[in-house]
Amino acid sequence: MLRPCLRYSPRAVRSPRCPQYSYRNSLQSPPVNQKSFLPLPSPPSIRGLQTPSTDSQDRIPLRKQLKQDAKSVKARRRERREQEEASRQKWELTVGVEIHAQLNTETKLFSRASTSPSELPNTNVALFDLAFPGSQPEFQAATLLPALRAAIALNCEIQPVSRFDRKHYFYQDQPAGYQITQYYEPFARNGYIDLYGYDGIAPEDGDQVRIGIKQIQLEQDTAKSQELPPSTQLLDFNRVSHPLIEIITMPQIHTPATAAAFVRKVQSILQSCNAVTTGMELGGLRADINVSIRQRGDDSGSHQYGGIGGLGQRTEIKNLSSFKAVEDAIIAEKNRQISVLESGGVIEGETRGWTIGSTETRKLRGKEGEVDYRYMPDPDIPPLLIGQELVAELSRTLPTAPDALLNMLLSPEYGLPIEDAKPLVELEDGARLEYYQYVVDILRELQQDLDPKARASLGRVAGNWVLHELGALLTKMDLPWDAERVTAQSLAAIIDNLQRKQITGATAKQVLGMLFDGDRRPVAQLLEDENLILRPLSREEYMALAEAAIEQNPQMAEQIRRKNQLGKLGWFVGQMMRTGEKGRVEAQKAEAILRELILGS
Amino acid sequence: MSLLLEAERYVANQSSHLALNAFITHSGRWLGQAKDADLRRKQGKTKSRLDGRLIAFKDNICTRDLPTTCASKSLEAFRSPFNATVVQQLEDAGAIIAGKTNLDEFGMGSHSVHSRFGPVKNARCSDDLSHLSAGGSSGGSAVAVATDQCYLAIGTDTGGSVRLPAAYTGTVGFKPSYGRLSRWGVVAYANSLDTVGILAKETSTVRDAFAVLNQHDPRDPTSLSPPSRSRIASKLELPQLSSRLESAPLRIGIPLEYNVSELAPSVRRAWYRSLEYLRRQGHTIHPVSLPMTKSALSAYYVLAPAEASSNLAKYDGVRYGTHPEGPNSEDESESYLYARTRGEGFGPEVKRRIMLGAFSLSAQAIDNYFIQAQRIRRLVRHDFDAVFRAEHPLTSNASRIEESTTKAGVDVLICPTAPSPPPSISDLMNASAAISPLDAYVSDVFTVPASLAGLPAISVPVSGKGNVEHHADNDLAGIQVVGQYGDDDLVLNVGELLEGCAI
Repeated sequence: MLRPCLRYSPRAVRSPRCPQYSYRNSLQSPPVNQKSFLPLPSPPSIRGLQTPSTDSQDRIPLRKQLKQDAKSVKARRRERREQEEASRQKWELTVGVEIHAQLNTETKLFSRASTSPSELPNTNVALFDLAFPGSQPEFQAATLLPALRAAIALNCEIQPVSRFDRKHYFYQDQPAGYQITQYYEPFARNGYIDLYGYDGIAPEDGDQVRIGIKQIQLEQDTAKSQELPPSTQLLDFNRVSHPLIEIITMPQIHTPATAAAFVRKVQSILQSCNAVTTGMELGGLRADINVSIRQRGDDSGSHQYGGIGGLGQRTEIKNLSSFKAVEDAIIAEKNRQISVLESGGVIEGETRGWTIGSTETRKLRGKEGEVDYRYMPDPDIPPLLIGQELVAELSRTLPTAPDALLNMLLSPEYGLPIEDAKPLVELEDGARLEYYQYVVDILRELQQDLDPKARASLGRVAGNWVLHELGALLTKMDLPWDAERVTAQSLAAIIDNLQRKQITGATAKQVLGMLFDGDRRPVAQLLEDENLILRPLSREEYMALAEAAIEQNPQMAEQIRRKNQLGKLGWFVGQMMRTGEKGRVEAQKAEAILRELILGS
Repeated sequence: MSLLLEAERYVANQSSHLALNAFITHSGRWLGQAKDADLRRKQGKTKSRLDGRLIAFKDNICTRDLPTTCASKSLEAFRSPFNATVVQQLEDAGAIIAGKTNLDEFGMGSHSVHSRFGPVKNARCSDDLSHLSAGGSSGGSAVAVATDQCYLAIGTDTGGSVRLPAAYTGTVGFKPSYGRLSRWGVVAYANSLDTVGILAKETSTVRDAFAVLNQHDPRDPTSLSPPSRSRIASKLELPQLSSRLESAPLRIGIPLEYNVSELAPSVRRAWYRSLEYLRRQGHTIHPVSLPMTKSALSAYYVLAPAEASSNLAKYDGVRYGTHPEGPNSEDESESYLYARTRGEGFGPEVKRRIMLGAFSLSAQAIDNYFIQAQRIRRLVRHDFDAVFRAEHPLTSNASRIEESTTKAGVDVLICPTAPSPPPSISDLMNASAAISPLDAYVSDVFTVPASLAGLPAISVPVSGKGNVEHHADNDLAGIQVVGQYGDDDLVLNVGELLEGCAI
């Protein structure tokens, strides 16, 4: 089955269609098609539109009822906000996040088998991946590179010596009976990322919040299992031992929105340094969330994690597969814990699950069902020694971080507004941004002769065309991004012609549409062939058009003159555009002539 | 004698000694290969000194053409799709696979009685004519060699599993330094201790096989790398080390802690004879102390089961391990699926060690058991480093080099392989006998320290005959030669020297 997967964008630009992809860690969860990464408030429940009204006394006019309903919805929202705020004042939420991300590597972690996901099931497996008796691991040093890029991008300290451990539990998707991970000595520690307002953090967190990363470890993925009812499980070992990193944060997040923003930002950082294959929407990333609450100011809690003490008992929500799920699950779990504590209960340390679209987390297993993983150093795998030179070289060649890119786009050099800069950075793993920068470069070259003021607006204008004009065409046709469809040279030429008033805005859009639909002629020739170059009308021609328009509606002209209803000038401009030769009437000039004729100024 | 004739003789012995239960699987493909080897010999194109020789492999070593059962019910139906590196190396050298030998399930045991296919029997009998233990876990390999069912046998030695059977059967059993021989294709029991070992009637035969097998294998991450090998070799070429046994007499150490009161008289006599024999040849004897010896056995029985519990997790009935027929139970939950496969697939000794290992790795016990045992393991290694003249070639510690030049260390240690002669199988198997499973562990007390330190060690048969009239056979005891890490050739040479006083 194919279906479109939407990428994050305020204008919902569509990205390549993608095959369905299900993902399972140690727990089952259905594949999720996430419509949007934006954390949306759940729709308010609107009831009462169809209130049964048998009694004539109750009969009220529809208009009035609609008004009342809207009022009560507002009131309920306000009430809920107030409740939330009251409970927020009383209870402090603490969240820690664990993110698993599939590394972008050629081979598996401990064999030379390919990681290509598209092959036939059970074809990309080596003896060790299947845990054949007598087989041994062969660590693939190249898999370390994306892991290191990720760790550096997340500001971690790379450990010169790290080791691999075995984590034991029985599950059919894990042929060895254990997962090889880095429990005692991970390869990266003590990182952080900064989240800003534009990352979507909660208002309570202010302009900026720093989330510490406790450690990052390398580990194996499991096989993919697929249920075949009634009683068969199909196993595809192609995914087994695909290299993963697990990113573990400090418990330093205190709002659901910030937790979602954190996961979103980690994904964008991992994608920007080419560390991962796919994002959350394709199952390349998934999160486990630890949630605890305590009364504000009360740090007598007996629980501690990562050196932070005084916390309440935490529960873990496993295997969240979208940003919205992260936020919703935390809200639900926080509310559950508050209501348990407020009714005199005790929070149990347990593992919970979350189903998309639900309003409550559900218990998966309690403490008595807790697995003792019996971590043991793997006796076959030598310690991982990472040289400083390698780390230095990777740091040097790391692509620019998304925050730095944003700052660049917001700076006077490009002068973009944040709502344009963000999608540019995030769309198509930076491909759109690359295209945009190319367009701007060409435009700068073309417009060297123009005055500084015109040139200063160039970045903003180009942004508009790349994101909105071109974006709208893609959305309309439901097509993936393709930098070659309308080349950067062509788009720059269109914008240049427009800026120089060689063509009108309408013509520019028309030309863009023609190129988009496959016209391969150079822009200059196309304008020539199609006779689209603006041949300015003479003053006399404008006069004639304006007079004809006024003649059609002298009353309106009169109103403008007497009541100074300037807004009505637009109607006459429209008339002139319609009656004049296509692509030749410039709105500004038309209006100037009209003012002159009607107002005498 | 032609290779064919020799092979026929071995195969005939395999039939006549079926009752000893040395083999799990016999190979049927030796005839043509022996003829080919004879032809090569005639043409002067012999591949190696092992060309055309019948070699038996312990059944925890993977072979493509024969089943690999590890003597476990759980692997009854298992066929490996590949050859272990040691199998491939010997086949490439012209050797013929004689078959797969019996063992303690997954190598866990000291008497080769914990086998799905029944106990291995030693050809040697006690005074009341009941069969003696062949030692374990490579008992099948040792008996096959002792009774001429093959020319040479390959076993595995995790805590003494080649040396103990050699001692009990009167054969030569060699455990090389850890990392010398490839473990690729050897079904893991305890990876950090598992070593492929060689059993033969004479040390020179063992040396021939060692020459073929002592190669780096990129598929085994614990195989000694070529740089490490040349580093070891260059250290051994230093004059003070290369002269040993060539032009200078040996300094022989006797670990005082091994002279325990429980030592059987025949074993003590054999030890004494060996030392006397070497002393008469001009070598000097020096008492040394290995203070961690007592703790070593306990550490081994924490570490090895811990690794075993991890390694054996894969036999869960999904991919490996035979899933029993019939419904799992009333409750079809996953835990029952695994529980029944593992409950029925493993024998009692394997289950005991899995439980032991799972416990010592559990969150509440790991600090007191596994971590402590690892500490003791390091101390055992220090013990050995402190007594050997040659420094450990792979520790680059400057202070140690200084120390070693000032101290007068020994070249090899000579000690018994086992504290007592083999017990009778009926005693071991008799549930009412007052032998607890732990008693079997004690027989490993002299072999485990070298395993923990990864050192080369060989067991050679030496007569412990006293004044009282006895069946000469029953007085054979295994005497062990232990050398510094990498000193495998010296250990082999001293073993060969001791063969002089074998009978």
